[in-house]
Parts: sequence; C-alpha cells; structure tokens
Amino acid sequence: MNATSGVLMTDAFLFWFLAIVTLVSALSVILMVNPLFSALSLVMSMVGVAALFVTMQAYFLAGVQLIVYAGAVMVLFVMVLMLFDLNLEKKAFSRGPGSSFLKIASVGLFAGLLIGGVVFSELMTAENAETTATLAKTDGTRALGRLLFEQYLWGFEVLGVLLLVVAIGAVALSRSKGGTHAKH
Amino acid sequence: MGSDSLEISINVIKMILIFLMMVQAVPILVWLERRGSAFIQNRLGPNRVGPLGLVQLLADAVKFLQKEEFIPAKGIRVLYYAAPVIALVPATLAFLAIPIGAPMSLEAFELFGSEWGPYRFALQGYEVGVGIVFVLGVSSLAAYAVLLAGWGSGNKYSILGALRASSQMISYELALGLSIVGVILLYGSFNFSDMILAQQGPLAIKAFGRELVIGWLPNWGIFFQPLGAILFFAATFAESNRLPFDLPEGEAELVAGFHVEYGGFKMLLFFIGEYGHMMVASGLMATFYFGGYQVPFMSPDQVLAWVSTWAPGANSAAVISSLLHHVVFLVKIAVFLWIFIHVRWTLPRFRYDQLMDLGWKTMLPWALANTILTAIVIAVAAS
Amino acid sequence: MLSTDWLINIGLNHYLVLSALLFATGMAGVLLRRNAIVIFMSIELMLNAVNISFVAFSKYGNLIEGQIMVFFVMTIAAAEAAVGLALLVSIFKRFKEVNIRYFEHLRG
Repeated sequence: MNATSGVLMTDAFLFWFLAIVTLVSALSVILMVNPLFSALSLVMSMVGVAALFVTMQAYFLAGVQLIVYAGAVMVLFVMVLMLFDLNLEKKAFSRGPGSSFLKIASVGLFAGLLIGGVVFSELMTAENAETTATLAKTDGTRALGRLLFEQYLWGFEVLGVLLLVVAIGAVALSRSKGGTHAKH
Repeated sequence: MGSDSLEISINVIKMILIFLMMVQAVPILVWLERRGSAFIQNRLGPNRVGPLGLVQLLADAVKFLQKEEFIPAKGIRVLYYAAPVIALVPATLAFLAIPIGAPMSLEAFELFGSEWGPYRFALQGYEVGVGIVFVLGVSSLAAYAVLLAGWGSGNKYSILGALRASSQMISYELALGLSIVGVILLYGSFNFSDMILAQQGPLAIKAFGRELVIGWLPNWGIFFQPLGAILFFAATFAESNRLPFDLPEGEAELVAGFHVEYGGFKMLLFFIGEYGHMMVASGLMATFYFGGYQVPFMSPDQVLAWVSTWAPGANSAAVISSLLHHVVFLVKIAVFLWIFIHVRWTLPRFRYDQLMDLGWKTMLPWALANTILTAIVIAVAAS
Repeated sequence: MLSTDWLINIGLNHYLVLSALLFATGMAGVLLRRNAIVIFMSIELMLNAVNISFVAFSKYGNLIEGQIMVFFVMTIAAAEAAVGLALLVSIFKRFKEVNIRYFEHLRG
C-alpha cells in the first residue's frame, strides 16, 4: 500500500511539475517581445511535451518528438530568426487600448469556452480504470509499427509523397536565380 | 530507482560517478591529443609539467579558473551564459544511457546489521527502453548550444560560424539516424542491452533456416553492417564538430567560429561538451558494432562462471566480473577515441559546400541504400 | 467538494485540461501577435497541444491508434513548418518586413 501511494505521489508530482513548466513556457512564447526568446521558450515547451509523453508511456513518440520537433523544426525556426534583421517590436500586441481590449476579451471567451467544455464534459464520469502497464516498453513500439505498416499503409505512403513534394517545393521557393553555383 | 534506501543511494552515486567519469576523461583526452598530435607532427608535446606532461591539464584548468569574466558589449547576457551549459547537457544525458559494463546481480547480504535483499545494478546512469531514440533525440539538442553561443556573442564571425555549425549538425543527423536504422533492423530492438547481448560468442549467420558459424570471428555487428558502421562513424565526426568537419571552429577562417568571444572556464565547458560527444560516439560505435562491454567470443555468463572459480564468494565474483567488462569497454572506446584524434591530425578540413554536398548527396543516399539492403537481406534470409 | 483527490490521481481530465490550456495559449498567440514568425510558432504550439490530447486518449482508452494519429500530425507539422519558413524568407527578402500589419491589404 505504501509502495503504490509512493508511485502515485511521484506520478502526480511529475505531472504537475511538467504541466507547469510547459504552460509557463507556452505563455512566454506569446508574451515575449524578442522573437528569439519566443522560439527558445517554444523549445522548452516542446521538451516539456516530450516529457509528458514519457509519463503517458509513449516512449517512442517522446523520442520522435525530441528528434523531429525540438531538434530539427525548432532549429530551423531559430536559424531563420537569426537570418532576419528584426527590429524589436515596441508593443507586442496591438495598436491601442480599445482594440487590445477587444482582442483579449475575444480570446478569453474562446479559451473559456474550450476549457469549460473539457472540464464539465461527460468524460468526468465515464472514466474506465486503466492499467498502468497497458503499453509495455518496447512492445508498444512494435504494435505501433505493425499498425502503421499494415492498416495505415496508404496514409504512410501519402505522407512520404507529401514530404517529397515539400522538400522540392521548399528548395524551389528559396533558390536564387540560376542556383547556388551560378555566375552572376 | 530502487526499492530501498541502499539501492536508491547506490543508483544516485552511480549516476554521479559516470558523469564525473565523462568529465574527468577530458583532461586525459586533451593530453592524449596534444602528445599524439605532437608525435604525428614529429615534435614533442607538453613535457615540462609533471612526468610526460600529464599535469599540464591541471595547470591549464587552474589558469582558466583565474581568467577574467567578461561579456562582449553587444552580447546578450542570458544566451551568452547559457550556451556553454547547453553544450554540456546533451552529451551528458546521452552518455548516461549507454551501458558501460555488465549488470551486477548481487544476492542478499548483511551490512550494518541488517539484511539487504538481492539487487541487480545495471552499469548505466539510467536504463532507457528506447535507448537509441533517446540518444538521438538528446544529441540533436546540441545544435542549440552552437546557435545560442553565436548569437549571444554579438559578433558577425560568431554568427556566421554558428549558422554553419548548426546547419552542418542537422544535416549529418540524418545520415546518423539512417545508419542506425540498419542496426535496429538487424537486432530488432531499441534497447542497448539487447543489442549487446545479441553480439555474443563467435560469428553466427542465420539464413534460410540454417546457421553458419565461423569460429574465428566474434559475433560483432560490424560484420553484418560494414557500410552502416563507416557511415555512422563519419557522421559522428560531423556531430561533434571534429576535423575534417571542423569548419565551425575553423581557426584560420573564422577565428574560432562560434566560440571566439568565449574565454576561460566557459570555453572549457565547450570543449568538455565536444569531447563528451566524442565519448558518446565511441561508446555507440562499441555498442552497435563491436560488442559493447563483452569480451570477444565469451558471453558475460561465461566470464562470470570463470571469475567465480577463483573469487571468494558470489557477490565479489559479480562485482569483479562487472569491473572486468567495464575495463573491456574502456579499452574499446579508447581505441575509437585514438582514431578520432588520429583523423583530426591527418585529414584537411572540408570547405562548407563540400561538406554539405557530402552530407546530403553522398552519405544520405548511401545510408538509405544501406537501410534498404539490410531490410531486403533480413526479409529474404528469414524466410 | 474539498477533496484533494484530483491533486493526486492523475486521470484523463488532467491531460485534456492541459491540452486545452496549451491550445488556448497558441490560439491567443495567433490572434494577438503581429510578427509572422511568432504566429507560426503559436501554430506549432497548437499542434503540440493536440498531440498531447491524442496520446492521452490513446493511453486512457487503451487504443494505440492515437499514437498513429500523432505520427501523422507531427510529420505534417514539420512539412508545413518547412514550407512556411521558406515562404517567410521569400517575403522578407522582398519586403524587408515580417510584421503582418503591412500585409493587411491583398495587393502585391
């Protein structure tokens, strides 16, 4: 009994700590004036999300989140930010007290509807007792791979084609006239 | 972490010890680099401070600690101070996940008047079920240290060096990841311990329902994945910014690149991070392709049985056997670290466009070909 | 009403509320900020929030399809980030500005 309550306490502590870190970083993303600090806060929240995946026993997804999101996409963001010459915006939000009140009020309304809908929904009563060992450590990945390649193979291949198109498109969008080795 | 206080405290001490091992290996490596490079270049290295110049690094560390703390006038304070720490963290996290010795199984013993139960300590900082994916994930975070150092210095040369370094690192991460996929296909698991234990004994090729045993070669991964090993090793050179992929810290061109504005202890932290990446790369090479901590041709159980014949008691036999395996691991990574140092002083540096061409147009297609070939061979041979 | 059971027992609702808060934060960023890159980053934040809720449902509903969905979302988000950044770089090269205030009118 002592062992299980100890495990529950550590789970709860981990969740609350990670949730607070992720939320604070996410708020910093939208509140910081310097866009580079916004990008770095977003990296922090993505690492927090990866840690939350670990608490939900999705270990492979946590690793992929670190590799793809925090390690490649955000590096791209930070590199692009460093290539720009950004004058810091004096006011990060809007151009006057009236419009800013309107904006914040509407966002607050949307957010309240969303969160209220989640909290007071029927899910509160219909929770089934989950077992903590539902997805074992590497067997979960094996099941994931099997499902991905058997049942969702079509979607997987389409994703591959999408990535190919995106790679070619990104190169085509940003090439200079004649390519990088052209003589001007 | 453990079920009682002794186990928890031993696990914590083990983590700290492995971290310290990584940090303390840096002076030894720097000594090896300086004497080794001097030997290659037909001169003497440091030979005045201590026997064979071994205390030179201690003297250098003391000197660095006494240097002036400064920040460039246009530098951004937070980024400038955070970057060296961020350089150290990914290498540490990755090194703590690699098994450096055989796991110790201790039976119940008596200490300080109470009975401590049977334990099993794995010689790693922490055991990760998806080992490889975790190590790849945290190594990819090392690009931020370079970017933040470059931007936080407020210097044009730093920014140029940082952008080049980070684009090099993310380009070679692809070849790194793809060459590892071949290993994952071969061993069918992400776990480092599973991979190491699958490389026991003599070379055994299982194909078409029959097994071919070549008794005079150990069952190492390099005989199954030669191309993958070469690609992986080359990609790790780029990941740790070592020559020949040294452009980010090109001394003659960019005046030390992204760490030009760093002096004193902060620069030392960058170098600890670089050597940490080298140690992780050597550890991974040994784990994937050279049998990890195992003695060639003998499985850990055979070694334990041999040690039990002359060790006093079962627990001391387990401890001695683990330490023996740890020494074997150290020998293997020492060989790879020497190869890192040797290559540094042998090959000239790549130019930036040559480097990117090599990463995207040569290594990535070969890594893809290796993956496809491995998959085809495994699918055909298992039928 | 005053039981602190919800502090200790972490259930599906905790993750869903967290996901909703992150999504609302991202939404606030998209609607309120005027730097195009920060808008992009808020979109990535929203996608991450959705990923959390998918994985939470996958764990508490004993289905693994949630994680498959996360794969797809992650891949598409990465592809979209690449194209979006390429577009932003082109816009910056042409107009020397990324503040969306200058792009309010549909004229080239």
